[in-house]
Amino acid sequence: MPLLELLSFPFLQRTILAGLMLGLLLACLGVFVMLRRMAFFGDGIAHASLAGIAIALLAGLAPLPVGLVWALLVAMIIFWLEKKSKLPTDSLIGILFTSSMALGVILMRFTPGYQPDLVSYLFGSILSIQVSDLWITAGLSTVILGWLFFFKRQLTFMSLTEEAAEVSGVKVSLHTLILYISLALATVLGVKVLGIVLVSALLILPPATSRLLAKNFKQYFTLSVIIAELTILIGLLTSFYFDLPSGATIVLTGTLLFAIAALIKGKTI
Amino acid sequence: MSPHSKTTNNSQSAIFVENLSVNYGDKKVVDNVSFSIDPGTVTAIVGPNGSGKTTLLKAVLGLLPIEGQVSILGAPLHKVRHSVGYVPQRFTFDRDFPIIVEEFLRLSLGRQCSAHRIVTSIKEVGLTPLVLERKIGSLSGGQLQRVLIAQALLHDPAVLFLDEPMAGIDMAGENAIHEVIEHLKDDHGTTILMVSHDIVAIACVADRVFCFNKKIICDGPPKKVLTDESLTGLFGSKHLLHHREHRR
Repeated sequence: MPLLELLSFPFLQRTILAGLMLGLLLACLGVFVMLRRMAFFGDGIAHASLAGIAIALLAGLAPLPVGLVWALLVAMIIFWLEKKSKLPTDSLIGILFTSSMALGVILMRFTPGYQPDLVSYLFGSILSIQVSDLWITAGLSTVILGWLFFFKRQLTFMSLTEEAAEVSGVKVSLHTLILYISLALATVLGVKVLGIVLVSALLILPPATSRLLAKNFKQYFTLSVIIAELTILIGLLTSFYFDLPSGATIVLTGTLLFAIAALIKGKTI
Repeated sequence: MSPHSKTTNNSQSAIFVENLSVNYGDKKVVDNVSFSIDPGTVTAIVGPNGSGKTTLLKAVLGLLPIEGQVSILGAPLHKVRHSVGYVPQRFTFDRDFPIIVEEFLRLSLGRQCSAHRIVTSIKEVGLTPLVLERKIGSLSGGQLQRVLIAQALLHDPAVLFLDEPMAGIDMAGENAIHEVIEHLKDDHGTTILMVSHDIVAIACVADRVFCFNKKIICDGPPKKVLTDESLTGLFGSKHLLHHREHRR
């Protein structure tokens, strides 16, 4: 099927639009995920969101908004526990995400019948994006990207030297909380296209590929976004042409781009 | 010598600390410490590992919950942040992370930071502007330390806090840091409070030394304070001091 004809399908238009917004959002946040070495955070939040989605399905509510609220709560609990607990952050995330996922599995047991929504949330589906999802994605992306645009310098400073940034007047605690919340929301927004199991790859792969190629921070940021958008576009179209799961195809496309960048630069990764 | 021997007036001091205590749980790490530091002087805090030197510095900088009173330039820290610079002890980062020195320096000031100001700052710490295009991960320990100081200098701080500025760098790097500290003190009148385990280096650059182990055990000029007797008391065993001629 020719590309133009393919793009005339409304569901594919919605998915590509959502994918491009997510690519931009997750790549920008992913730069800070890489810098702060918190790749496990995105993975944990995505898995934890299963409980929110299960609650929504059980109560007959829209899964995405409930999943977003649930992820927001989990992000705030992680932030609070980080301050109060002596446990390392990755242990805290591990406890929360497995507990939340287990709760989701138990709740699913009480949801009658086959749940196509659940399968699409676990592995991603290009058929699942609704117009309302697009609006939610656009609204939240605008807010998060606006915050990133205005506070990119402060975020970078505190990600490199937290205490020096705090002494210079950066509100480190506040921006850390906003970063956690933004990451949680962005991750759950990406769950429909990529699936709970794979969404965190889009936070990691584009910045990791960009890191191999970039000569400075400006290039690093720009290349991360370009690579994320290419990954989404190539991955979505490939998944449609060959009838493959969208999340897995996008992730493997990202992996391929990463491998090509590593080969071109001849760098040890 | 009394901790308040040089200055006792809060408003005249560059740094004024009164009855400062820091607790980690039930453990008292800084125990009711008071001192004041005159403007334009270099003061060093020495002590064994785990003595609370860095904790004291962070407490003064408002990075930890404290009991007691701290004022900098006669005011609480949040009112004078623009006049304070801080170079932390540990700067651990991914060495392959793509950020160049110029971008790193701009992080502390953003667009207010002119190219001229950046070049001036980098020259002040004895580096050439060529270093601005290099990735920070490619710098040597001494160069990185000077870049960190250059970043703190962009604010033109009246008070500068340095945490172990000579740690992990070679002799050439150490000498370069000495020169930067002396330049800041002599040409800018910057007040410097630094933590260091390097007794010899401190003897060269400091006007005043605090021997610290949860409390200030001794306080005074290096030649008076850095004696074998006081260092043995501080470090708990014979501490050999190789006197180096004080530059001033």
